[in-house]
Amino acid sequence: MLRPLIALAVMAAPYVMTLTASAQTTQAPAPQVYTDNTDVMISRAMRVAQDNPDYCINAMSDFPTDDPERRYQFFRLSEEMGRDMTDDLRAALDEYGDEEVPPGSSVLDVIENIANPVLRQAAPRITVSNMAYVIDFATICEPFISGQTDSLVAFDASLTDAEFNAVIIEDALFLRQILSDTLFRLGANEDLQYSAAVAQYAQSLVTTRDEVEFTTFESELGNLEALYMDDLDGRLKRSNDMINEEMDRETLGDAVALSDSLMKAEKKKAKERQLYSLIRILGGGR
Amino acid sequence: MAVSISNLLKASYKKTCLMALFLGSSALATGCASTAKGAKQSAMVGMAKAETLQTQAPDGSAMTVIRYPAVVETSAKQAYYAAFENSAIGGGAAKSGDAAERESVADSVIVKSNYFALSLYKELAARLPEHTVLLSPHALKLDENGELTSEPITQAESLPSVISVDFATYSYPDAGKMMGDKPLTFGDLVTPLISVRADHRAQASTHGLLFASTPLIPYAAGKSQQDAVDSLSVMQKGQFDRSVPELDFVSFLTKSDRSNVPSKTLRGGLADNVVTAYPIEKIKLDGVALSQLDTANDGSVDPLERVFSDAMADNIINIVNNTDTQKAVMANKAAAIADYDPSLAALTYVGADSADYNARLRYAERLLDAERKYLSVQSLRVFDGIHNGEMGAQMRDMIMAEYEVLEERRKLARKQNQATAFAILGAVAAGASIANGGSSNNCGDARTQSEYNNCIRRAQRTNIGNSVLTNLAVQGAMVAAQEAIALNQRSKAIGSNYLSSIVPALEQQTSVTVDLLDSSETITAIRYEDLKTKLQGLYSNQQRSLDVVATRCAFGLENTATLSGTWMGVCEGGHANGVGSGVFKKADGSAVEYYGYASQGLPNGSGFMIVHEASGSHALEGNFVNGLAEGPVQVSKAGQADRLRTYRAGQDVGAASSSPLSPFNPILAK
Repeated sequence: MLRPLIALAVMAAPYVMTLTASAQTTQAPAPQVYTDNTDVMISRAMRVAQDNPDYCINAMSDFPTDDPERRYQFFRLSEEMGRDMTDDLRAALDEYGDEEVPPGSSVLDVIENIANPVLRQAAPRITVSNMAYVIDFATICEPFISGQTDSLVAFDASLTDAEFNAVIIEDALFLRQILSDTLFRLGANEDLQYSAAVAQYAQSLVTTRDEVEFTTFESELGNLEALYMDDLDGRLKRSNDMINEEMDRETLGDAVALSDSLMKAEKKKAKERQLYSLIRILGGGR
Repeated sequence: MAVSISNLLKASYKKTCLMALFLGSSALATGCASTAKGAKQSAMVGMAKAETLQTQAPDGSAMTVIRYPAVVETSAKQAYYAAFENSAIGGGAAKSGDAAERESVADSVIVKSNYFALSLYKELAARLPEHTVLLSPHALKLDENGELTSEPITQAESLPSVISVDFATYSYPDAGKMMGDKPLTFGDLVTPLISVRADHRAQASTHGLLFASTPLIPYAAGKSQQDAVDSLSVMQKGQFDRSVPELDFVSFLTKSDRSNVPSKTLRGGLADNVVTAYPIEKIKLDGVALSQLDTANDGSVDPLERVFSDAMADNIINIVNNTDTQKAVMANKAAAIADYDPSLAALTYVGADSADYNARLRYAERLLDAERKYLSVQSLRVFDGIHNGEMGAQMRDMIMAEYEVLEERRKLARKQNQATAFAILGAVAAGASIANGGSSNNCGDARTQSEYNNCIRRAQRTNIGNSVLTNLAVQGAMVAAQEAIALNQRSKAIGSNYLSSIVPALEQQTSVTVDLLDSSETITAIRYEDLKTKLQGLYSNQQRSLDVVATRCAFGLENTATLSGTWMGVCEGGHANGVGSGVFKKADGSAVEYYGYASQGLPNGSGFMIVHEASGSHALEGNFVNGLAEGPVQVSKAGQADRLRTYRAGQDVGAASSSPLSPFNPILAK
């Protein structure tokens, strides 16, 4: 699922490089803000982001600007890549990463490097460092990223489409899976200090994958339901209309008319009988 | 003066009729006519507090299925008519009138059930979450033994539902007694027959029966008991219980099974382990709605709503709130899931906490929800076709025509009663006059011939006067009696004429109902099968593998030497070992079904056990050690509120103060 974004990243590279070069003049250090508590993490991230506005602006500046959909994809991808991060795991990334990615590096370049199979086979520690770079960006700049995505959604509400977002989450999962696999390759899962955090991260990937797959399933099922239910409703309605035409309400009218006529005949007969009885009674039975 | 006497007579005709009875004037007494009165509203109005729904249908399940007799197959007509005549509610032999008349009454019961069931559907659909109320019209047919039974026409009962509601209207089979106090559904009168049940696992002590019209109770309970026994046999074979019970109305007609269950009156509200008995009541339709019925273009005017359906729907919500929804749906849900995933199905009885299980269950439940929504569209269209279409319009016309017939007969009955009263008063007056005329005028006391002659002349004049008065009174009484008899005959003739005239309209209603339901089911079934195939494809494409799967293996109750029962769930080494359900039949004929945790082939851990014995069924929920209850246990027995007891090695040793373990509650499961 990452293929479209990776391809996009490659295509956007020259443009990104230009932006990166201009951004390097205002680079800022990447502060650490991780914690197990998401609320605390976000509030700390907001403070850090407020303290380092240039850092976020520079990091975001290499994202596509000519297409709102592609721009949204990159912001959401960054956001998703920062998911399920904890202080312990972040420490593990420092431990198992090779060296810090140069501050102000293009996020697109970094993503491209993570996805590069040759690089991750040959230098897994660099892959870990690249992921740490993107995760830091996603965490520190979360207020800016969400501000951007909100603005883009306000501009085009179709960007919230579940299937479209599921594709982005799958792309992020692909990259996160690379990180998890790399940590396992590097033996972090057997490191007493980090094994729990690494295992927890691996489990969160399973949960997220389940969620993504279920969202896709829901979406496919929803389409199927809509198709079949609309079709069924239409068919049944047409059938009802046809069958209703079979109903001849005059049948009841005829039945009631017959009953009325019998009732009147009965009334007349009863009156005759009554008159006869009256004469008989008053005539002394003669 | 004449007016005041007339009014007096009107007011006092009942007393006069009683007096006639007292006087032994039997001929005149038979002239007293009833005016086919009905209750202004159901006894349920005001009884059931309008509670909001406090529970949710478990995922993949409907909340309520409304079942009703919709058609009678041609081959089953005679069996139905015979059973209908032989099962009269209200006592007495129902054999007056000709066969065609009685058949007309029997047919009208089906036609009216079809229409009025939709009033209840409308009310429940408005109260319960969208797509959780389904209609299940039944066809009355002959089974393989030639016995009358009923089967659902649609697939609505193939899905799990928390409760099912059986609805029918009823009329006493003898149309000659239409104006009396017998149950009647005609014109502005409706006599509902209703029963509410859950799966027997939700209230084992009454085999799932929760609420029922009084005459239905023993037969509905009997059939439920038989169904519970049958389901054990199915489970013993390692299959899922997919049985759909016949309508309780049919069980009542055929009287094939009978069982005694404790019941209580409607007035006391709902309670555990008893059936709430709903009395037979002849309810008068809402007069205001009735007056608007002939001008209504669609089903927007519902004369049954205010007087019955509204309160019944409230009552059903209360019943749902008091029902253990998990136990109510678990067997049918497992059966429905088995269509998609047999290795998951038996695990769902009590569930598991592994990620793979929960992921798969979520998919399976979502597919059942898709099926439920699909079938609810069919129900909505059946409702629309019958209630809002031409059929409904004709039914409303029919109700109005019947109402006019009934009103005419009521008018005649009132006249008949006045005539009866005149006849009785005439007879009394004649008697008094004769008594007065018969008294001796003793002229022997005259002192002179002149006094004697005057006395004799006075006596002759008085006797002539008395004689004229007596003759007039007798003749008046005879005329009045004749009129009463004539009015009575006319009234009966009106009823009889109407029933024979209406036959073509009833036949048309029936044939159009068959067409509508057949067409609806044909269209739905073709598309439904197609949808299910697609859903199955979608499910198998998406699924991750299960680490632990459900299979079939041996299960026992008291010792590992006799594991002759069947376990469907997690097995190890050919024995029950994990979650699942087990069935075990004992040598004494009793049987046990168990849902929960097992090891070494025996119930071990938290579980829910239903014990079926000749004397009845009861349920135990708590901890089990090697098949025996141990520790705090919730005990559910017929006629008693659920109790917390302490068990040691399967024996009740006294009250318990702590909550028992429950296999259905993850916190209390282990």
